[in-house]
Amino acid sequence: MSKYQVIRMTLSGRIAWFIFAVALIGIVSMPWWASQGLIRDVVTLACYIAVAQMWNMLAGYGGLVSVGQQAFVGVAAYAMFVLAQTYGVNPYSAVFISLLAPAALAVPIYYLLHRLEGPYFAIGTWVVAEALRLLATNMPMLNGGAGMSLRVMTQFSVHERAIASSLLAALLLLVTLGGSYLVLRSRYGIAMTAMRDNPAAAASQGVNVHRLRFYLFVAAAVGSGFAGAVYFMAQLRITPPSAFGMNWANLAIFIVMVGGIGSLEGVLIGAVIFFFAERWFGEYGASYLIVLGLMTLACALYFRGGLWGFYSRHFNAPWFPTRRHLVRNKGVVK
Amino acid sequence: MNALLSTHGLKAGYGDMRALHGIEISIEAGETVALIGANGAGKSTLLKAIMGVLPVAPEMIMLDGKAVGGKSPHLMVKAGVAIVPEGRRLFLGMSVEENLQIAIEHAAEPIGEPWTLERVFALFPILREKARTLVENLSGGQQQMVSIGRSLLVQPRVLLCDEISLGLAPKVVREIYAALPAITAGGVALVLVEQDVSLAQRASQRLYCMLEGRVTLQGASSDITREQISAAYFGANHVLD
Amino acid sequence: MYWIDGIVQGILLGGLYAQYALGMALMFGVMKIVNVTHGDLVILLALIGISLADLTGLGPWSILATLVPIGAAIGWILQRALLNRVVGDDPLPSLIATFGLSIALQNAMLQIWSADTRSLSGGAIQQASIPVGSLYIGVLPLIVLICATVLTAGMAFLMHYTRFGRALRAASADVEAAAMMGVNPRRVYALATAIAVGILGFAAAFQAMRSTVAPSDGPFQLIYAFEAVIIGGLGSIWGAFTGAMILGISQSIGFRINPGFGILAGHLVFLAVLAVRPQGIFKRKS
Repeated sequence: MSKYQVIRMTLSGRIAWFIFAVALIGIVSMPWWASQGLIRDVVTLACYIAVAQMWNMLAGYGGLVSVGQQAFVGVAAYAMFVLAQTYGVNPYSAVFISLLAPAALAVPIYYLLHRLEGPYFAIGTWVVAEALRLLATNMPMLNGGAGMSLRVMTQFSVHERAIASSLLAALLLLVTLGGSYLVLRSRYGIAMTAMRDNPAAAASQGVNVHRLRFYLFVAAAVGSGFAGAVYFMAQLRITPPSAFGMNWANLAIFIVMVGGIGSLEGVLIGAVIFFFAERWFGEYGASYLIVLGLMTLACALYFRGGLWGFYSRHFNAPWFPTRRHLVRNKGVVK
Repeated sequence: MNALLSTHGLKAGYGDMRALHGIEISIEAGETVALIGANGAGKSTLLKAIMGVLPVAPEMIMLDGKAVGGKSPHLMVKAGVAIVPEGRRLFLGMSVEENLQIAIEHAAEPIGEPWTLERVFALFPILREKARTLVENLSGGQQQMVSIGRSLLVQPRVLLCDEISLGLAPKVVREIYAALPAITAGGVALVLVEQDVSLAQRASQRLYCMLEGRVTLQGASSDITREQISAAYFGANHVLD
Repeated sequence: MYWIDGIVQGILLGGLYAQYALGMALMFGVMKIVNVTHGDLVILLALIGISLADLTGLGPWSILATLVPIGAAIGWILQRALLNRVVGDDPLPSLIATFGLSIALQNAMLQIWSADTRSLSGGAIQQASIPVGSLYIGVLPLIVLICATVLTAGMAFLMHYTRFGRALRAASADVEAAAMMGVNPRRVYALATAIAVGILGFAAAFQAMRSTVAPSDGPFQLIYAFEAVIIGGLGSIWGAFTGAMILGISQSIGFRINPGFGILAGHLVFLAVLAVRPQGIFKRKS
């Protein structure tokens, strides 16, 4: 046994994982204990968390700041609607098949936009999302601006739909949060952290920054698309402005910046704040968005680490530890 | 004797890392002082601190009896300090003339005979021919001449030169160093940061040697021996064979 | 004739886009500052102008003359209070900060002015047109185009032949070196943003006269300006002007193919330029 060992798991991390597992089980079992309204809320919150976490991986680790993730949300959701409603594919199979659409779309978009630096890339993604919104508005197959309804869902009972929604929400969180966590703890995670801190230096240390960014972009597209398919399946209706709307970018950026960029914990904190702000203040008009916008501004100017950054400056108790600690073994035991 | 520029217990660094630990140097009008030392000794950091690029306390830098430490770089220029930055730092995409014009348009109040485009062209005649050329199309030596000319045109009383011989052919270095006496003749104080120790010794009246953020040797350039320099340069335990 | 008319109307439309693009060419292209509120500021100024006209009964040209200094003041404050803090190598802070401000601004405008579309009455000139052969050229769009051309020429002159323009270019090339040559970058940047937003005062008045404005329109203006700047090539003032013309023509022709296709055609041309000539039409590869 060597004198030193690398520690990655902490007590707080174990507790958090336990809570995460309990939460997932809770979500899956919702149809047997929760109201319709609560299930719908949890599905919505899960979708927000997923979209924000995908943005977090892009901006927080990949250095790819996108304001056009709604392109993938909308494309996957529309693909699911067309498969299920127009072609009669089983809607739950359609959710998974529809993920091919954002993946396929992400490849040409990345090759088109990756030449643009930072902010230009961001607005480039916005143009793509806008173009897709207009395209959807003009496509007779998608019923144009009037949008589509998922009438095929009536073949399932309310309880069956609740089970499916709950399973999908749990799976969505497992894939986006759990998947991100596993990736960040793998050797790719070290490469990505290096890339976040200094792309040029990471490249010189053998990190293939270009390829890593490409994978990240495609993975984030699929993750965002998954959230879109789940979200609009629960809504049963889709229109071009809701599917390709800026609201997706707004919420992702707010959640990550206020919660804390580059951490999974920050996304959870930010998502909960956004969700309740929308829930409690949304009925009094859009003025809460003024506050959320100014909070995003304040975080960009003064608190780059967001709320999680503030927390971790005072407590060393990460919920999802991805850092490695080198500790000296006390009394090496043979 | 009244120093034109002096530093007093100057401490500075980058973020949490302190690079200078109480530097005391001084220079008079018309004097040339060389600053030598190994890479990382803190020479460039000292120039940046004087220039106002790094934060320092006001009384750490005195210019003509006034505490000027920590002023923004553009205010240091107005106070009469200029720098020929390491790596030349010319404004790319602009011609030689435009690079010089910017300095003229933001110059300090001249003391004595002002530097004009004509005087700079007299000092480095090649620049007159290249006036309309984009600076990125010049040779390294010509770029260094533009950089020196640009800094002269802000009408400094103290000129800080950061490694002006770096990466240039010996012939070009000689040409540039030959121009320096014409600069100090008008009363400009010159601080030369220089890697080439013997060149620094020849070009200056006094020199300071720095090691790990401290001044380890100072004196008249002509009096200092090679042994003293190598002891100061590498630390007390090293002696050059 | 139908298509020639399309091109002519496209050029006239491009005149309006050029006014959006000019300020962005300055901030985005030269200063490398991202200002997501660019479009929202056009809308804000237009709404201020419309309210001012309602309140005071001032004519459209007096409103224009008022909006330009108001825009310049907003630009100055924006740069001093906000953007100067986020100038640097990392573009993320300025993007995120102005993105947040954009959301706040849009919703604040929604609270103040409601979601209604409004416009500024331009008087008789709004309907006037000049017959050229079998085409009719609107007087107002022509004024917009001439104004855009003059502003672009003025900006190009400012950038190349004035102390301010040289200082700004120097600061964009190397901000620290510029400061070490006596340039006060914060002041130069504040002045540049004041000019950029001041020009939006023209754009706002003309936009409100030519069509309508609503609080949530800002992102569209931002995207058009961005597309024009990228099509023309970053950092090139006349490039942005030409990019605006190309965008205007693409939208106008697209609209004639199918009314739903107009704006989309502009986006597609932008993406095509990006695929074929990512450095823009006017810029050589560096």
